Amino acid sequence: MSAHAASSPGHDHSHDDHHHDPGFFKKYLFSTDHKTIGIQYGITAMLFLAFGFYLMMVMRWSIAYPHQPLPEWMSWIFTDNWKARWLTDGKVTGETYNMFGAMHGTIMVFLGIVPLGFGAFGNYVTPLQIGAVDMAFPKLNMMSYWIYLAGGLIMCASFFMESGAAKSGWTNYSPLAGFADGQIVNQWLAGQTQWLIGLVLLITSSLLGSVNFITTIINLRARGMTWMRLPFFVWAMLVTGFLLLLAFPPLEAAGIMQLMDRVAFSSFFMPTGLFTQSEGLAELSGGGSPLLFQHLFWFLGHPEVYVLLLPAIACVAEIIPANTRKPLWGYKSMVYSLLVLGFLSFIVWAHHMYMTGMGAAVSTFFQTTTVLISIPSVIIITALLISLWGGSIRFTAPMMWACAFIPMFGIGGLTGLPLAFNLVGLHLHDTYYVIGHFHYVVAPGILFGLFAGVYHWYPKITGRYMSNFLNHLHFWPSLICMNVLFFPMLMQGMAGFHRRWYNGGDAYLAKAADSTNVFGNTVREFIDLNVVMSYGAWALAVAQIPFIINVLFAWKKGRKVESDNPWEATTLEWATPTPPGHGNFTFDVAVYRGPYEYSRPDCEEDYFPQWHAPKKTAEQPNDKENH
Amino acid sequence: MEIPYIVNARKDTGLFNSKIAIWLFLASEVMLFGGFFSAYIFLRLGADYPWPERTLPVLPGLINTFVLIGSSVTVVFAWAALKLHNWRQFQVYMGITIFCALLFMVLKAVEYNVKLHHQAVRLSDYSIIEGHLGYDKVEGKKIEKNRINLQLEQEATITYNVLRFHPAWVEQVLEEAKKAGVSIKLAADLKGEEKLSDEGKDYFKKDEPLTVELLNKVKDAHLAARSNNAVIKTEALREAWKVAKKAHPDQSDWEYSDNVSIDTEAIKPKLLTEFPSVSFSIDKSLALSFKPRDVKEGPTQSKLRDDTVINGKLVASPMVFENLDAIDFQYLVMKAEAKGIKPEVAIENSWLMQNSGFVREAWAWHEKEVEKLRLRLIKDYKRDENGKPNREPTHKEMYRMGWKDLKKYAEDTKDIKLSGVDKIKEEFMGPNYHARGQETFPSFEVPREQVGFAAKFTPAWNTYYAIYFTITGLHGLHVVGGAIVLAYYLFFGRKMYDENPEWLANRVEVGGLFWHFVDLVWIFVFPILYLM
Repeated sequence: MSAHAASSPGHDHSHDDHHHDPGFFKKYLFSTDHKTIGIQYGITAMLFLAFGFYLMMVMRWSIAYPHQPLPEWMSWIFTDNWKARWLTDGKVTGETYNMFGAMHGTIMVFLGIVPLGFGAFGNYVTPLQIGAVDMAFPKLNMMSYWIYLAGGLIMCASFFMESGAAKSGWTNYSPLAGFADGQIVNQWLAGQTQWLIGLVLLITSSLLGSVNFITTIINLRARGMTWMRLPFFVWAMLVTGFLLLLAFPPLEAAGIMQLMDRVAFSSFFMPTGLFTQSEGLAELSGGGSPLLFQHLFWFLGHPEVYVLLLPAIACVAEIIPANTRKPLWGYKSMVYSLLVLGFLSFIVWAHHMYMTGMGAAVSTFFQTTTVLISIPSVIIITALLISLWGGSIRFTAPMMWACAFIPMFGIGGLTGLPLAFNLVGLHLHDTYYVIGHFHYVVAPGILFGLFAGVYHWYPKITGRYMSNFLNHLHFWPSLICMNVLFFPMLMQGMAGFHRRWYNGGDAYLAKAADSTNVFGNTVREFIDLNVVMSYGAWALAVAQIPFIINVLFAWKKGRKVESDNPWEATTLEWATPTPPGHGNFTFDVAVYRGPYEYSRPDCEEDYFPQWHAPKKTAEQPNDKENH
Repeated sequence: MEIPYIVNARKDTGLFNSKIAIWLFLASEVMLFGGFFSAYIFLRLGADYPWPERTLPVLPGLINTFVLIGSSVTVVFAWAALKLHNWRQFQVYMGITIFCALLFMVLKAVEYNVKLHHQAVRLSDYSIIEGHLGYDKVEGKKIEKNRINLQLEQEATITYNVLRFHPAWVEQVLEEAKKAGVSIKLAADLKGEEKLSDEGKDYFKKDEPLTVELLNKVKDAHLAARSNNAVIKTEALREAWKVAKKAHPDQSDWEYSDNVSIDTEAIKPKLLTEFPSVSFSIDKSLALSFKPRDVKEGPTQSKLRDDTVINGKLVASPMVFENLDAIDFQYLVMKAEAKGIKPEVAIENSWLMQNSGFVREAWAWHEKEVEKLRLRLIKDYKRDENGKPNREPTHKEMYRMGWKDLKKYAEDTKDIKLSGVDKIKEEFMGPNYHARGQETFPSFEVPREQVGFAAKFTPAWNTYYAIYFTITGLHGLHVVGGAIVLAYYLFFGRKMYDENPEWLANRVEVGGLFWHFVDLVWIFVFPILYLM
């Protein structure tokens, strides 16, 4: 493409590709095209999501049937040797459960959803929606994908090491994480160390990505694409970019310090007088602060939640207007809410730390900010909800997911409110209630939003629709199973079930009905829900099969789209050829109006795309639009 | 396809792409170093030991500060030269910038090198001494006199964990044994079962000599047996559950899980012997020594970090300082005061004062110096209205004799002085043991049982050194990274200069912005780590 760098702006770019075939590797593997990179991100992230899901199924087996060997249909993936090391008589051990738990969280958050939402959708859609030819720094874009992949693979490779993968929770709290795998002589080959190396790589990748995104959005907008004409999606990516840019570095600092604790035997997070049963008094200088790690971790950790969430909301905000055929309700207030949300997300982090004894004043401050941040979130969700009102809704595949997103994310958000208050937090901290809350946000919330995105943009990416029948097979079971899986968690959590019980509470159970063990009786009352939830999880896995078939099948065999704008949408990505070629647009892009001009009474059609020049205006005699 | 605004600024934002990017990147860098500086504050405020204050050599740090500031100026001149299309001038100024970066790194490297070879030890009573360890030269390698020495009698055993043994340490033991003419042999037969052994693969005879290969073979046999056993046990447990479920169709698993177990008798014939660990014995007595961090020593049995158990007697394993260069009672005093013991009493009773004539004499001189200082402070700063002195000697001045104090002690009492270059060199390289000799910095032996915690002046020594090395190390990486980029423009920029000088100027501008940031970080680092 560099050979064509000097081509004139009016040149037909899709034509360009014909006499300049870059070859397989350049085209698909080491491509600098934002669309290819977006797809690479998407596929990789979905594979990681599947792996993380698998880890969860093993955990759910251990919770539901702590005394039974892992069944063949789950354990066939391991070698006999691996099973002998990590399972006892075929049963999942506490150590293995911890390992899977830590890696499930890490993979889902850092390797699955962020790359899918920000990396895949952000990469594919953002430059198209602002009318840019590519990202501002295409090579940097490619680099951030490959660094992400390297980080992810390093983390996962540790499953096969003598030490196993990281086992100290996805939050990796010191001093536990500082000690874990301490028996390994070469610390660079310990799972816990590999986790940190992987993390530093992932942070580097997202740093490069966020710089690229923000620069692109600021500087490469098409003519006429003013700030308030940006689709909400782009705004969300801009704010997400800033969150990644500013929230991740403190975690990188924490990661580097923990790495020092492991390989240089420093005591950043190791307090004085640390004593363990196996090692006795630790041979360390001490004097460090475990609380410091938590502060640095959650300084990232909370904005990270919004990094997960915003791309999903962004997808939904694009899909709803296109399928209700009316403008997004309260676009401006949504944008401002988004900015406020982004800012507030930096000052709520310590609500994860009420139990650390950091002091009443600090807790009160963070409680207040946490309650405050619910205001912009509710404004956004309410605006989405009101957008449905009075619309002539087309229940297309993406729209179903988008509609499900709102109540599901609503449950996730509302169950978070009690957790904001530190008094209630004392009771619910580290229980399944927190797990239920968080997973309602992430799984039926964010993932549904991202599924909506897949169904919505798939026709642009491939030129074919995904099957609606398979979509129904995917959607309805998923919706039901998600609730079967996560709703009982809220109940168990309020009953005091701890999130890290690898045997699902079996150790605390009062087996005799007349036991005087009060807590044991409470456990007894709720323990059978474990089995229900586990069946929910496995059914959920089955429910994803139609989706996988759909994605693969529709690629070549799906129904072809009739035009470049199959949903009759208004934003710029639908102005490109299908699929868009290198350089994206085949005409000189100019934007004339806001992003959601649906059902304008003065228009013949019920949508008025951003790139259509206004008709019959004396001021603009040259209608450049040739579409 | 061409990405716009690479060379020229976009009109409405007034910026070209990379300028936006570098400012964003710097914002993120601010957050990164912000994380470290917050950590510094957090650790310092929460420190439960005497935080080392003004402990680094100020002169090289100060020179480095001016070197970096100077380079920040020259990088701007280099950019201006490009804007004026004066390649020659650009080369000169950029050359100076890169030279400054190199000078900075050299001074930094000297500083690091001194720290990394400087030993500290906290004794069991929390008094601290510092200095330079003595070493033996064995086959060209320096082996410091800070080893755990074990004496193994005839027939003593070494037991390896077959899954975790560290091959390098096995080799080390073998080497020692070879030198001493000792052979290490399998202590007993390891019998595998007939049915799995093809050609006696998992049959290891007594008296087979220890090698890493042998351990690997045992490991393979162990893993094979372990896998086999796991499969059989898993199958048996599955079977047991199948039966139990049939017997309790209406019950939850947990109600009868206590009664479900593997029929161990039935599967016994199918199980293979596992060899999780394997013992070797020696035919003559053998002396072994290990680095203190690698071994948890006990009087008759010690354990290496790779789980190797050595049945040997712990013999004298002193830490031998070739040169002692600091005596520090600050931590001891802090601990004593917490218990309500008077500092003087605690110092008087410390192991160092009780056992070292040198320390006693030096400390007696030091106390007089502190008195002199006290009087001088009263003279200079007067007393307040209650008769209390306005300024008193600090804890550090009272309870620590650093190398400069020991130097002064020797200069005052023994008339040992340095002059000229040697004196200036000490400001960069630390105490000159060679020139000042044993009189100033005597040798000193610390018996192992007195060693509470020992480390070089590395991140391991305390959280101050941890944060010092981390921040300055990361800053150093930024200096190196920035210098590489700027050097690239200098040495490989000519082509771009000829084709598109404005583009190169943009690049230099962006690199220069980064360079300013690196300088700015140092301006924060220098006071908080060197001066405060």
